[in-house]
Amino acid sequence: MREVMEHTAGKIYLTYLAATIVGMVVAIVRGAMSVPEGGEPFLLFGWMTAPLVAGVIFVLLWLVGYLVYFFKFWPYR
Amino acid sequence: MIFDIAVLTIFGLIIIGMAAYGYKISAKTAEDYMLGGRTIGVVVMFFFVLFAISSSWTFYGFPGLLYLEGPGYVFFIWGSVAGFAGLYMFLGPRIWALTKMNRFLSPVEALGERYESKTLRLVLAISILAFIVPYVGIQPLGVGAGFQALTGLPALWGAIYTAVLLIFLVLLGGMRIVAWVNIFLGIVYVTALMGSMLWIVNVALPGGLPGAATAILETQPELLSAPGPRGTFTPVLMGGTFIVGLLAFSWPHVVIGAMTARDKNLFKWFPLLIFVFGGLFFYIIPFIWGSLVAPAIMPLEALTARAAELGTSVEIEADRVVQTIIVQELPGWFGVFVLMGVIAAAVSTAAVQLMTSSVIVARDVIQGVFKPDADDREVTRWARWSVIGIVILSLSISVIDTGAMALYLTDVSIPGFAQWSPALVGGLLWKRGTRQGAIAATVVGVVYLVLGLLITPGGSRVLLLDLHPIVPTLLVNTIVYIVVSLLTPAPSEEIQTQFFDEVDEFLRSES
Repeated sequence: MREVMEHTAGKIYLTYLAATIVGMVVAIVRGAMSVPEGGEPFLLFGWMTAPLVAGVIFVLLWLVGYLVYFFKFWPYR
Repeated sequence: MIFDIAVLTIFGLIIIGMAAYGYKISAKTAEDYMLGGRTIGVVVMFFFVLFAISSSWTFYGFPGLLYLEGPGYVFFIWGSVAGFAGLYMFLGPRIWALTKMNRFLSPVEALGERYESKTLRLVLAISILAFIVPYVGIQPLGVGAGFQALTGLPALWGAIYTAVLLIFLVLLGGMRIVAWVNIFLGIVYVTALMGSMLWIVNVALPGGLPGAATAILETQPELLSAPGPRGTFTPVLMGGTFIVGLLAFSWPHVVIGAMTARDKNLFKWFPLLIFVFGGLFFYIIPFIWGSLVAPAIMPLEALTARAAELGTSVEIEADRVVQTIIVQELPGWFGVFVLMGVIAAAVSTAAVQLMTSSVIVARDVIQGVFKPDADDREVTRWARWSVIGIVILSLSISVIDTGAMALYLTDVSIPGFAQWSPALVGGLLWKRGTRQGAIAATVVGVVYLVLGLLITPGGSRVLLLDLHPIVPTLLVNTIVYIVVSLLTPAPSEEIQTQFFDEVDEFLRSES
């Protein structure tokens, strides 16, 4: 991680990952996984529940960030 | 039953045969036995690590909890995926380079040298062993129940069968063969878990997964969102579960995996497999099983009636719900294949934990404290024979009180693993981290955790502020590490050069 902190791309990458973690926690705490009163559970494609969708988006965001940073900017690549 | 036993015998012989082959081709050095000669490539490493962390819990406990409580617990998985990827992206290259350059054989040894402290080495070794050894015993006992259900033989036979496999595999094969066998075991496990799900969906859910969700919407809609039917997974608990998952980077049996890497390129490619195969595929299978397929096929009322009929609890039957549905819906012969999958999951996890424990016992406790002049062959011999002792010890602890063990795993082991993380992360990344800081932080964290779990007036964990044990203990541990390190003299220039500057130089030059 020391090598990541030593250049701008690395700092942006770490900030991006931290932002996704904060975003996930904020989404959870603000009730995005719950059902509004009188509403129905969120189901993407008829079966993907909100916690599953949130997690898949989270992993995809990490995957994209990782691909860009590790294959273009990582100092030890 | 004869068919089942014959299949399990062949399965066991394949594993023992692979272990024997590993013994034959091994270089008979400590480095070869403990770290696979540092020759593990990215694909083997991926199976090695993924199935080291995917125990029989992914077949029983995880879907069982989703079945009862709704999908909120899945945030532990999302946190863990990020935690494991983070270990290999940020800490792994340094752990690998540092231990390779200095020929360290255990992460505890590396930290002992980094902080120039035998006391810290012993403290870390004992605390990690205390938290990891009971895990080893849980796995064979878990298999025992499935073995009894399938064959009708006592559960103890299943536990002994698994323990014998473990001993042969680790004692003969060492780390390289444990890693290689995990590929075989992982394929068996994924095929059993996914194959059973696809088959069940095909025969019992004509509407597929959307049909399952529709059926659940009609009978128990609260199962499809947080906080779940019992109101357990509140936003605060889900957020905490996610953060606990992120700390998966500190699991010692995963950290040691980074030391076995062939080269630094592994750390560039490994996260790709974790994200794509782990996060977007593997862990979604038990999620679908527990949150959609099982409740659609066997609603809670049916499971409650079954528990009453068998004289067990709903929680116990929920843990077995996947196996129950497979037995009810699929042909009998498939049951033995599923049990093989569960045994594969149990052995793949316990073998890596056992291997890690034996390395720490031989290298950090016996050679590090009692026999500093032990040679390579002697250390290897101690590592091999300690395997038997650890298996007996861990099984004995588990047999004494299995109820307490479940609590031990969720509330003690994972918070316990986290207590070495400030010393680990600080030792690798922060030049100013000192021996006094690492010792004080680890001791304070472990003692706080133990007292917090033991002192419970009126059932309340007052010392832990009724939070998950990992939260207050790790916070205090980290603060102590930083404050004490800043108040004590910085590590010598020699240490800073050896553990930081030379590592940076090595990683930049290594190709």
